[in-house]
Amino acid sequence: MSQKHEGWGWMLAVDFFFAGMGGAMLVIAGIVDLFVGEGRTSALASFLGAAFMALGSGLLIFELGRPFQSWRVFMNPRAILTVGAWVMSLAICAGLVYTTFSFAVFPWSDWVLVRKLVAVVIVVSGLIVATYPGVLLGRLKGRPLWVGPGMTSLFLTSSLVTAFAAHILCGMIVAPATIGDVLARFPAITAVLLAVQLLLWVSYMWVKISGATEAEAVAARRLLCGEYSSAFKYGLMLVGTVLPLLLVLVSSPLYQAAGAILVLVGGFILRMLVIYAGGADRTWLPGEVKYRSRLPHGDEAFMKAWNEKEFWTTNK
Amino acid sequence: MARYAMVFDIRRCIGCHSCTVACRTKNELPMDMIYNPVTTVGPTGVYPNLSMVHLPLICMHCDNPPCVDACPTGASQRRDDGIVFVEDKKCVGCLACVMACPYGARVKNHESGAVQKCDFCKDRVDEGKLPYCVLTCHQKARVFGDLDDETSEVYKLVNGERTVRLLAELGTEPYAFYIYG
Repeated sequence: MSQKHEGWGWMLAVDFFFAGMGGAMLVIAGIVDLFVGEGRTSALASFLGAAFMALGSGLLIFELGRPFQSWRVFMNPRAILTVGAWVMSLAICAGLVYTTFSFAVFPWSDWVLVRKLVAVVIVVSGLIVATYPGVLLGRLKGRPLWVGPGMTSLFLTSSLVTAFAAHILCGMIVAPATIGDVLARFPAITAVLLAVQLLLWVSYMWVKISGATEAEAVAARRLLCGEYSSAFKYGLMLVGTVLPLLLVLVSSPLYQAAGAILVLVGGFILRMLVIYAGGADRTWLPGEVKYRSRLPHGDEAFMKAWNEKEFWTTNK
Repeated sequence: MARYAMVFDIRRCIGCHSCTVACRTKNELPMDMIYNPVTTVGPTGVYPNLSMVHLPLICMHCDNPPCVDACPTGASQRRDDGIVFVEDKKCVGCLACVMACPYGARVKNHESGAVQKCDFCKDRVDEGKLPYCVLTCHQKARVFGDLDDETSEVYKLVNGERTVRLLAELGTEPYAFYIYG
Protein backbone atom coordinates (compact mmCIF):
# COMPACT_ATOMS: atom_id res chain seq x y z
CA MET A 1 0.00 0.00 0.00
CA SER A 2 1.14 3.52 -0.60
CA GLN A 3 1.01 4.21 3.10
CA LYS A 4 4.12 2.10 3.29
CA HIS A 5 6.61 4.55 1.95
CA GLU A 6 6.96 3.70 -1.72
CA GLY A 7 9.69 4.54 -4.13
CA TRP A 8 11.31 3.56 -7.36
CA GLY A 9 11.49 -0.08 -8.37
CA TRP A 10 13.48 -2.54 -10.45
CA MET A 11 12.61 -0.95 -13.79
CA LEU A 12 14.41 2.25 -12.86
CA ALA A 13 17.40 0.22 -11.68
CA VAL A 14 17.48 -1.60 -15.02
CA ASP A 15 17.15 1.74 -16.84
CA PHE A 16 20.08 3.17 -14.88
CA PHE A 17 22.09 0.06 -15.73
CA PHE A 18 21.40 0.07 -19.46
CA ALA A 19 21.51 3.86 -19.84
CA GLY A 20 24.76 4.19 -17.89
CA MET A 21 26.43 1.34 -19.74
CA GLY A 22 25.11 2.48 -23.14
CA GLY A 23 26.18 6.06 -22.60
CA ALA A 24 29.66 5.05 -21.50
CA MET A 25 29.98 2.64 -24.46
CA LEU A 26 29.48 5.60 -26.78
CA VAL A 27 31.97 7.67 -24.77
CA ILE A 28 34.61 4.98 -25.26
CA ALA A 29 33.83 4.57 -28.97
CA GLY A 30 33.95 8.33 -29.50
CA ILE A 31 37.18 8.91 -27.58
CA VAL A 32 38.93 6.07 -29.41
CA ASP A 33 37.72 7.47 -32.74
CA LEU A 34 38.88 11.01 -31.90
CA PHE A 35 42.27 10.22 -30.41
CA VAL A 36 43.28 6.88 -31.93
CA GLY A 37 41.39 6.52 -35.19
CA GLU A 38 38.29 5.06 -36.77
CA GLY A 39 37.33 1.40 -36.80
CA ARG A 40 39.28 0.55 -33.64
CA THR A 41 36.19 -0.46 -31.68
CA SER A 42 33.43 -2.87 -32.66
CA ALA A 43 30.53 -1.34 -34.63
CA LEU A 44 28.28 -3.63 -32.61
CA ALA A 45 29.35 -1.76 -29.45
CA SER A 46 28.34 1.62 -30.94
CA PHE A 47 24.99 0.23 -32.02
CA LEU A 48 24.35 -1.51 -28.70
CA GLY A 49 25.33 1.64 -26.80
CA ALA A 50 22.43 3.47 -28.41
CA ALA A 51 20.16 0.42 -28.25
CA PHE A 52 20.80 -0.09 -24.54
CA MET A 53 19.88 3.52 -23.81
CA ALA A 54 16.70 3.14 -25.86
CA LEU A 55 15.87 -0.05 -23.96
CA GLY A 56 16.46 1.72 -20.64
CA SER A 57 14.25 4.61 -21.70
CA GLY A 58 11.51 2.16 -22.67
CA LEU A 59 11.62 0.53 -19.27
CA LEU A 60 11.53 3.93 -17.62
CA ILE A 61 8.29 4.69 -19.44
CA PHE A 62 6.70 1.56 -17.96
CA GLU A 63 7.86 2.62 -14.49
CA LEU A 64 5.67 5.72 -14.75
CA GLY A 65 2.23 5.81 -13.18
CA ARG A 66 0.91 7.19 -16.45
CA PRO A 67 3.04 5.73 -19.26
CA PHE A 68 0.99 7.33 -22.05
CA GLN A 69 1.83 10.77 -20.67
CA SER A 70 5.57 10.08 -20.78
CA TRP A 71 6.24 12.89 -23.27
CA ARG A 72 5.65 15.35 -20.44
CA VAL A 73 9.03 14.50 -18.86
CA PHE A 74 10.63 16.80 -21.44
CA MET A 75 8.79 19.83 -20.10
CA ASN A 76 10.69 21.21 -17.11
CA PRO A 77 14.29 22.25 -17.92
CA ARG A 78 14.97 22.88 -14.20
CA ALA A 79 14.53 19.18 -13.42
CA ILE A 80 17.49 16.87 -13.81
CA LEU A 81 15.18 14.14 -15.12
CA THR A 82 14.18 16.44 -17.98
CA VAL A 83 17.83 17.22 -18.76
CA GLY A 84 18.53 13.49 -18.67
CA ALA A 85 15.63 12.72 -21.00
CA TRP A 86 16.76 15.31 -23.58
CA VAL A 87 20.42 14.33 -23.46
CA MET A 88 19.57 10.62 -23.61
CA SER A 89 17.43 11.22 -26.70
CA LEU A 90 20.30 13.09 -28.30
CA ALA A 91 22.77 10.36 -27.37
CA ILE A 92 20.54 7.60 -28.80
CA CYS A 93 20.14 9.45 -32.12
CA ALA A 94 23.82 10.41 -32.31
CA GLY A 95 24.87 6.86 -31.42
CA LEU A 96 22.77 5.37 -34.19
CA VAL A 97 24.09 7.95 -36.69
CA TYR A 98 27.66 7.23 -35.56
CA THR A 99 27.12 3.49 -36.12
CA THR A 100 26.19 4.12 -39.77
CA PHE A 101 29.72 5.43 -40.44
CA SER A 102 30.98 1.87 -39.97
CA PHE A 103 29.11 0.63 -43.04
CA ALA A 104 30.21 1.54 -46.58
CA VAL A 105 26.64 1.14 -47.81
CA PHE A 106 25.88 4.59 -46.40
CA PRO A 107 27.08 7.38 -48.73
CA TRP A 108 28.29 9.53 -45.82
CA SER A 109 30.46 6.76 -44.33
CA ASP A 110 33.64 8.45 -45.61
CA TRP A 111 32.76 11.97 -44.44
CA VAL A 112 35.53 12.21 -41.88
CA LEU A 113 34.75 15.64 -40.47
CA VAL A 114 31.08 14.81 -39.90
CA ARG A 115 32.06 11.54 -38.22
CA LYS A 116 34.43 13.41 -35.90
CA LEU A 117 31.69 15.91 -35.03
CA VAL A 118 29.25 13.10 -34.27
CA ALA A 119 31.97 11.45 -32.19
CA VAL A 120 32.25 14.64 -30.11
CA VAL A 121 28.47 14.64 -29.64
CA ILE A 122 28.37 11.00 -28.48
CA VAL A 123 31.27 11.58 -26.07
CA VAL A 124 29.64 14.61 -24.43
CA SER A 125 26.07 13.28 -24.39
CA GLY A 126 27.16 9.77 -23.40
CA LEU A 127 29.18 11.13 -20.50
CA ILE A 128 26.17 13.09 -19.23
CA VAL A 129 23.91 10.03 -19.56
CA ALA A 130 26.43 7.89 -17.68
CA THR A 131 26.76 10.46 -14.90
CA TYR A 132 23.29 11.94 -14.39
CA PRO A 133 21.72 9.08 -12.38
CA GLY A 134 24.36 9.63 -9.71
CA VAL A 135 23.70 13.37 -9.72
CA LEU A 136 19.94 12.75 -9.55
CA LEU A 137 20.27 10.51 -6.49
CA GLY A 138 22.97 12.61 -4.82
CA ARG A 139 20.71 15.68 -4.79
CA LEU A 140 17.91 13.99 -2.82
CA LYS A 141 18.31 15.63 0.58
CA GLY A 142 16.08 13.28 2.51
CA ARG A 143 17.72 10.07 1.30
CA PRO A 144 20.65 9.33 3.59
CA LEU A 145 22.25 6.58 1.51
CA TRP A 146 22.26 8.65 -1.67
CA VAL A 147 22.81 12.24 -0.62
CA GLY A 148 26.16 13.79 -1.46
CA PRO A 149 28.56 13.82 -4.39
CA GLY A 150 29.82 10.26 -3.82
CA MET A 151 26.98 8.63 -5.71
CA THR A 152 28.03 10.47 -8.89
CA SER A 153 31.53 8.98 -8.87
CA LEU A 154 30.16 5.51 -8.05
CA PHE A 155 27.72 5.61 -10.96
CA LEU A 156 30.22 7.06 -13.42
CA THR A 157 32.85 4.46 -12.51
CA SER A 158 30.35 1.63 -12.76
CA SER A 159 29.06 2.92 -16.10
CA LEU A 160 32.59 3.07 -17.50
CA VAL A 161 33.61 -0.36 -16.22
CA THR A 162 30.47 -2.04 -17.55
CA ALA A 163 30.97 -0.22 -20.86
CA PHE A 164 34.55 -1.51 -21.19
CA ALA A 165 33.31 -5.01 -20.38
CA ALA A 166 30.58 -4.68 -23.02
CA HIS A 167 33.17 -3.48 -25.55
CA ILE A 168 35.31 -6.55 -24.81
CA LEU A 169 32.34 -8.86 -25.41
CA CYS A 170 31.23 -6.97 -28.54
CA GLY A 171 34.78 -7.15 -29.91
CA MET A 172 34.66 -10.92 -29.48
CA ILE A 173 31.33 -11.17 -31.32
CA VAL A 174 31.96 -8.61 -34.09
CA ALA A 175 35.62 -7.73 -34.44
CA PRO A 176 36.59 -4.09 -35.07
CA ALA A 177 37.20 -3.04 -38.67
CA THR A 178 40.80 -2.15 -37.88
CA ILE A 179 42.52 -4.80 -35.78
CA GLY A 180 44.86 -2.94 -33.52
CA ASP A 181 45.96 -2.96 -29.95
CA VAL A 182 43.10 -0.80 -28.67
CA LEU A 183 40.72 -3.62 -27.80
CA ALA A 184 43.61 -5.62 -26.34
CA ARG A 185 44.12 -2.89 -23.73
CA PHE A 186 40.50 -2.91 -22.55
CA PRO A 187 40.86 -5.80 -20.07
CA ALA A 188 43.67 -3.97 -18.26
CA ILE A 189 41.64 -0.73 -18.20
CA THR A 190 38.66 -2.70 -16.91
CA ALA A 191 40.80 -4.13 -14.10
CA VAL A 192 42.02 -0.67 -13.11
CA LEU A 193 38.46 0.67 -13.09
CA LEU A 194 37.30 -2.29 -10.99
CA ALA A 195 40.04 -1.52 -8.48
CA VAL A 196 38.93 2.13 -8.45
CA GLN A 197 35.31 1.02 -7.97
CA LEU A 198 36.33 -1.16 -5.02
CA LEU A 199 38.25 1.71 -3.46
CA LEU A 200 35.37 4.14 -4.02
CA TRP A 201 32.85 1.82 -2.36
CA VAL A 202 35.11 1.24 0.64
CA SER A 203 35.65 4.98 1.08
CA TYR A 204 31.96 5.75 0.47
CA MET A 205 30.86 3.32 3.16
CA TRP A 206 33.55 4.58 5.50
CA VAL A 207 32.48 8.20 5.07
CA LYS A 208 28.80 7.33 5.49
CA ILE A 209 29.39 5.35 8.66
CA SER A 210 31.97 7.48 10.39
CA GLY A 211 31.79 10.98 8.95
CA ALA A 212 28.17 11.72 8.21
CA THR A 213 24.85 11.92 10.04
CA GLU A 214 23.39 9.09 12.10
CA ALA A 215 20.73 8.50 9.43
CA GLU A 216 23.46 8.05 6.82
CA ALA A 217 25.33 5.65 9.08
CA VAL A 218 22.18 3.58 9.59
CA ALA A 219 21.56 3.51 5.82
CA ALA A 220 25.13 2.38 5.15
CA ARG A 221 24.93 -0.34 7.82
CA ARG A 222 21.94 -1.81 6.03
CA LEU A 223 24.30 -2.57 3.16
CA LEU A 224 27.17 -3.74 5.31
CA CYS A 225 25.43 -5.80 7.97
CA GLY A 226 21.69 -5.47 7.38
CA GLU A 227 19.14 -6.98 5.03
CA TYR A 228 21.16 -6.13 1.90
CA SER A 229 24.55 -7.25 3.20
CA SER A 230 24.69 -10.58 1.32
CA ALA A 231 23.89 -8.93 -2.01
CA PHE A 232 26.41 -6.18 -1.28
CA LYS A 233 29.31 -8.30 0.00
CA TYR A 234 28.97 -11.41 -2.13
CA GLY A 235 27.06 -10.04 -5.13
CA LEU A 236 28.58 -6.62 -5.76
CA MET A 237 31.95 -6.80 -4.05
CA LEU A 238 32.97 -10.43 -4.65
CA VAL A 239 31.16 -11.60 -7.80
CA GLY A 240 30.83 -8.17 -9.41
CA THR A 241 34.18 -6.60 -8.57
CA VAL A 242 36.99 -8.76 -7.12
CA LEU A 243 36.40 -11.93 -9.14
CA PRO A 244 36.17 -10.17 -12.54
CA LEU A 245 39.20 -8.06 -11.61
CA LEU A 246 41.22 -11.27 -11.39
CA LEU A 247 39.61 -12.89 -14.43
CA VAL A 248 40.15 -10.04 -16.89
CA LEU A 249 43.86 -9.97 -16.04
CA VAL A 250 44.29 -13.56 -17.27
CA SER A 251 45.46 -13.43 -20.89
CA SER A 252 42.82 -15.81 -22.15
CA PRO A 253 39.76 -14.71 -24.15
CA LEU A 254 37.61 -17.23 -22.30
CA TYR A 255 38.58 -15.90 -18.87
CA GLN A 256 38.27 -12.31 -20.05
CA ALA A 257 34.81 -12.98 -21.45
CA ALA A 258 33.76 -14.59 -18.17
CA GLY A 259 35.19 -11.61 -16.29
CA ALA A 260 33.36 -9.16 -18.56
CA ILE A 261 30.07 -10.97 -18.01
CA LEU A 262 30.60 -10.84 -14.24
CA VAL A 263 31.29 -7.10 -14.51
CA LEU A 264 27.89 -6.67 -16.14
CA VAL A 265 26.27 -8.77 -13.40
CA GLY A 266 28.00 -6.59 -10.80
CA GLY A 267 26.83 -3.39 -12.49
CA PHE A 268 23.27 -4.63 -12.46
CA ILE A 269 23.49 -5.66 -8.79
CA LEU A 270 24.91 -2.23 -7.94
CA ARG A 271 21.91 -0.43 -9.44
CA MET A 272 19.42 -2.74 -7.77
CA LEU A 273 21.13 -2.38 -4.41
CA VAL A 274 21.40 1.38 -4.61
CA ILE A 275 17.79 1.87 -5.69
CA TYR A 276 16.24 -0.54 -3.19
CA ALA A 277 18.47 0.11 -0.19
CA GLY A 278 18.43 3.87 -0.67
CA GLY A 279 14.77 4.12 -1.61
CA ALA A 280 13.61 2.27 1.47
CA ASP A 281 15.23 4.80 3.76
CA ARG A 282 14.44 8.39 4.48
CA THR A 283 15.45 10.90 7.12
CA TRP A 284 12.47 9.86 9.23
CA LEU A 285 10.55 12.40 11.25
CA PRO A 286 9.91 11.77 14.96
CA GLY A 287 7.52 8.85 15.47
CA GLU A 288 7.10 8.25 11.74
CA VAL A 289 8.64 4.78 11.57
CA LYS A 290 6.32 3.51 14.32
CA TYR A 291 3.34 5.20 12.68
CA ARG A 292 4.00 3.66 9.29
CA SER A 293 4.68 0.24 10.77
CA ARG A 294 1.13 0.21 12.13
CA LEU A 295 -0.60 1.02 8.87
CA PRO A 296 -2.55 -1.77 7.15
CA HIS A 297 -0.92 -3.74 4.36
CA GLY A 298 -4.14 -4.27 2.43
CA ASP A 299 -4.75 -7.95 3.20
CA GLU A 300 -6.51 -7.37 6.52
CA ALA A 301 -10.14 -8.45 6.89
CA PHE A 302 -11.43 -4.90 7.36
CA MET A 303 -9.51 -3.74 4.29
CA LYS A 304 -10.95 -6.55 2.19
CA ALA A 305 -14.43 -5.68 3.43
CA TRP A 306 -13.83 -2.03 2.56
CA ASN A 307 -12.57 -2.86 -0.91
CA GLU A 308 -15.64 -5.05 -1.50
CA LYS A 309 -18.06 -2.38 -0.29
CA GLU A 310 -18.93 -1.37 -3.84
CA PHE A 311 -19.90 -4.96 -4.65
CA TRP A 312 -22.18 -5.20 -1.62
CA THR A 313 -23.72 -1.78 -2.03
CA THR A 314 -24.52 -2.29 -5.70
CA ASN A 315 -25.86 -5.85 -5.33
CA LYS A 316 -28.37 -5.35 -2.54
CA MET B 1 0.93 39.09 -1.59
CA ALA B 2 0.05 36.59 1.11
CA ARG B 3 2.48 33.96 2.40
CA TYR B 4 0.47 31.17 3.93
CA ALA B 5 1.81 29.12 6.81
CA MET B 6 0.55 26.69 9.41
CA VAL B 7 1.54 26.56 13.03
CA PHE B 8 1.16 23.38 15.07
CA ASP B 9 0.99 23.75 18.82
CA ILE B 10 1.95 20.24 19.87
CA ARG B 11 1.26 21.12 23.49
CA ARG B 12 -2.39 21.14 22.47
CA CYS B 13 -2.50 18.14 20.13
CA ILE B 14 -4.03 15.07 21.81
CA GLY B 15 -3.48 12.67 18.92
CA CYS B 16 -7.16 12.15 18.11
CA HIS B 17 -6.49 11.97 14.34
CA SER B 18 -9.57 14.09 13.57
CA CYS B 19 -7.48 16.14 11.17
CA THR B 20 -6.39 13.00 9.31
CA VAL B 21 -9.97 11.82 8.94
CA ALA B 22 -11.23 15.28 7.99
CA CYS B 23 -8.58 15.58 5.31
CA ARG B 24 -9.39 12.18 3.88
CA THR B 25 -13.07 13.03 3.84
CA LYS B 26 -12.62 16.43 2.22
CA ASN B 27 -10.20 15.19 -0.41
CA GLU B 28 -12.07 11.89 -0.96
CA LEU B 29 -8.88 9.91 -0.55
CA PRO B 30 -8.79 6.16 -1.06
CA MET B 31 -8.07 3.95 1.95
CA ASP B 32 -4.37 3.70 1.20
CA MET B 33 -3.64 7.43 1.11
CA ILE B 34 -2.96 9.85 3.94
CA TYR B 35 -1.92 13.47 3.51
CA ASN B 36 -1.53 14.41 7.14
CA PRO B 37 -0.60 11.66 9.55
CA VAL B 38 -0.24 12.31 13.27
CA THR B 39 2.71 10.45 14.73
CA THR B 40 3.29 9.75 18.39
CA VAL B 41 6.61 10.08 20.13
CA GLY B 42 6.80 8.25 23.41
CA PRO B 43 5.88 7.59 26.06
CA THR B 44 9.42 8.34 27.19
CA GLY B 45 10.96 8.69 30.61
CA VAL B 46 10.63 6.70 33.80
CA TYR B 47 7.41 6.52 35.82
CA PRO B 48 6.08 8.81 37.17
CA ASN B 49 7.94 11.30 34.98
CA LEU B 50 6.61 10.26 31.61
CA SER B 51 5.99 12.32 28.52
CA MET B 52 4.32 11.69 25.19
CA VAL B 53 3.79 14.08 22.32
CA HIS B 54 1.79 13.87 19.12
CA LEU B 55 3.23 15.33 15.96
CA PRO B 56 0.84 16.32 13.16
CA LEU B 57 2.57 16.12 9.77
CA ILE B 58 1.58 17.64 6.45
CA CYS B 59 3.26 19.00 3.36
CA MET B 60 5.53 21.73 4.68
CA HIS B 61 4.90 24.05 1.70
CA CYS B 62 8.59 24.87 1.62
CA ASP B 63 9.98 28.15 0.39
CA ASN B 64 12.67 26.14 -1.36
CA PRO B 65 10.71 23.02 -2.33
CA PRO B 66 12.92 20.21 -3.67
CA CYS B 67 9.86 18.50 -5.13
CA VAL B 68 9.19 21.38 -7.55
CA ASP B 69 12.75 21.32 -8.88
CA ALA B 70 12.66 17.52 -9.17
CA CYS B 71 9.41 17.34 -11.15
CA PRO B 72 10.24 16.81 -14.85
CA THR B 73 6.76 17.71 -16.08
CA GLY B 74 6.10 20.93 -14.21
CA ALA B 75 3.15 19.32 -12.43
CA SER B 76 4.56 20.21 -9.01
CA GLN B 77 4.29 23.95 -8.65
CA ARG B 78 4.59 26.65 -6.04
CA ARG B 79 2.16 29.54 -6.07
CA ASP B 80 3.17 33.11 -5.23
CA ASP B 81 1.40 32.74 -1.88
CA GLY B 82 3.67 29.79 -1.04
CA ILE B 83 1.20 26.96 -1.54
CA VAL B 84 2.87 23.97 -3.20
CA PHE B 85 0.50 21.79 -5.20
CA VAL B 86 0.35 19.15 -7.92
CA GLU B 87 -1.44 19.86 -11.18
CA ASP B 88 -2.99 16.46 -11.69
CA LYS B 89 -3.26 16.47 -15.47
CA LYS B 90 0.47 17.16 -15.86
CA CYS B 91 1.65 14.44 -13.44
CA VAL B 92 3.05 11.26 -15.01
CA GLY B 93 3.65 9.45 -11.72
CA CYS B 94 7.44 9.26 -12.06
CA LEU B 95 7.83 9.59 -8.27
CA ALA B 96 10.73 12.04 -8.62
CA CYS B 97 8.94 14.42 -6.25
CA VAL B 98 8.14 11.60 -3.82
CA MET B 99 11.82 10.75 -3.60
CA ALA B 100 12.85 14.41 -3.41
CA CYS B 101 10.52 15.31 -0.54
CA PRO B 102 12.37 14.85 2.74
CA TYR B 103 9.09 14.90 4.68
CA GLY B 104 7.32 11.99 3.00
CA ALA B 105 4.42 14.30 2.26
CA ARG B 106 3.61 12.92 -1.16
CA VAL B 107 1.69 9.76 -1.99
CA LYS B 108 0.94 7.98 -5.23
CA ASN B 109 -2.67 7.36 -6.10
CA HIS B 110 -2.66 3.82 -7.46
CA GLU B 111 -5.98 4.34 -9.21
CA SER B 112 -4.99 7.40 -11.22
CA GLY B 113 -1.23 6.81 -11.31
CA ALA B 114 -0.56 10.40 -10.24
CA VAL B 115 1.08 11.77 -7.12
CA GLN B 116 -1.06 13.74 -4.68
CA LYS B 117 -0.44 15.78 -1.57
CA CYS B 118 -1.82 18.33 0.86
CA ASP B 119 -2.35 21.70 -0.80
CA PHE B 120 -3.56 23.61 2.26
CA CYS B 121 -7.09 23.12 0.81
CA LYS B 122 -6.26 25.90 -1.67
CA ASP B 123 -9.77 25.84 -3.09
CA ARG B 124 -11.10 26.76 0.36
CA VAL B 125 -8.27 29.21 1.08
CA ASP B 126 -8.99 31.02 -2.19
CA GLU B 127 -12.54 31.52 -0.90
CA GLY B 128 -11.25 32.94 2.36
CA LYS B 129 -11.98 29.77 4.33
CA LEU B 130 -9.68 27.73 6.54
CA PRO B 131 -8.16 24.38 5.52
CA TYR B 132 -10.40 21.52 6.60
CA CYS B 133 -7.93 20.08 9.11
CA VAL B 134 -7.67 23.45 10.88
CA LEU B 135 -11.45 23.77 10.95
CA THR B 136 -11.74 20.28 12.42
CA CYS B 137 -9.12 20.52 15.16
CA HIS B 138 -11.15 20.95 18.34
CA GLN B 139 -8.00 21.53 20.40
CA LYS B 140 -6.95 24.50 18.24
CA ALA B 141 -3.59 22.82 17.80
CA ARG B 142 -3.48 23.98 14.19
CA VAL B 143 -3.38 27.64 13.26
CA PHE B 144 -3.41 28.75 9.64
CA GLY B 145 -2.93 32.19 8.19
CA ASP B 146 -0.92 34.74 6.29
CA LEU B 147 2.59 35.19 7.64
CA ASP B 148 2.91 38.50 5.79
CA ASP B 149 -0.02 39.89 7.76
CA GLU B 150 1.32 41.27 11.05
CA THR B 151 -2.14 41.10 12.60
CA SER B 152 -2.60 37.39 11.87
CA GLU B 153 -2.36 34.77 14.59
CA VAL B 154 0.30 32.80 12.73
CA TYR B 155 2.48 35.89 12.55
CA LYS B 156 2.14 36.44 16.28
CA LEU B 157 2.82 32.78 17.07
CA VAL B 158 5.82 32.42 14.76
CA ASN B 159 7.37 35.64 16.02
CA GLY B 160 6.23 35.41 19.63
CA GLU B 161 6.57 31.74 20.55
CA ARG B 162 9.53 29.41 20.36
CA THR B 163 8.84 27.62 17.10
CA VAL B 164 10.87 25.03 15.22
CA ARG B 165 10.83 23.79 11.65
CA LEU B 166 11.30 20.11 10.87
CA LEU B 167 14.56 19.20 9.12
CA ALA B 168 15.40 22.89 8.85
CA GLU B 169 19.04 21.94 8.33
CA LEU B 170 18.19 20.71 4.82
CA GLY B 171 17.56 24.27 3.67
CA THR B 172 14.03 23.65 2.42
CA GLU B 173 12.63 26.48 4.56
CA PRO B 174 9.35 24.80 5.47
CA TYR B 175 6.36 26.98 6.26
CA ALA B 176 4.96 24.61 8.85
CA PHE B 177 6.05 25.71 12.30
CA TYR B 178 5.89 23.71 15.51
CA ILE B 179 5.48 25.06 19.01
CA TYR B 180 6.82 22.37 21.30
CA GLY B 181 6.90 23.94 24.74
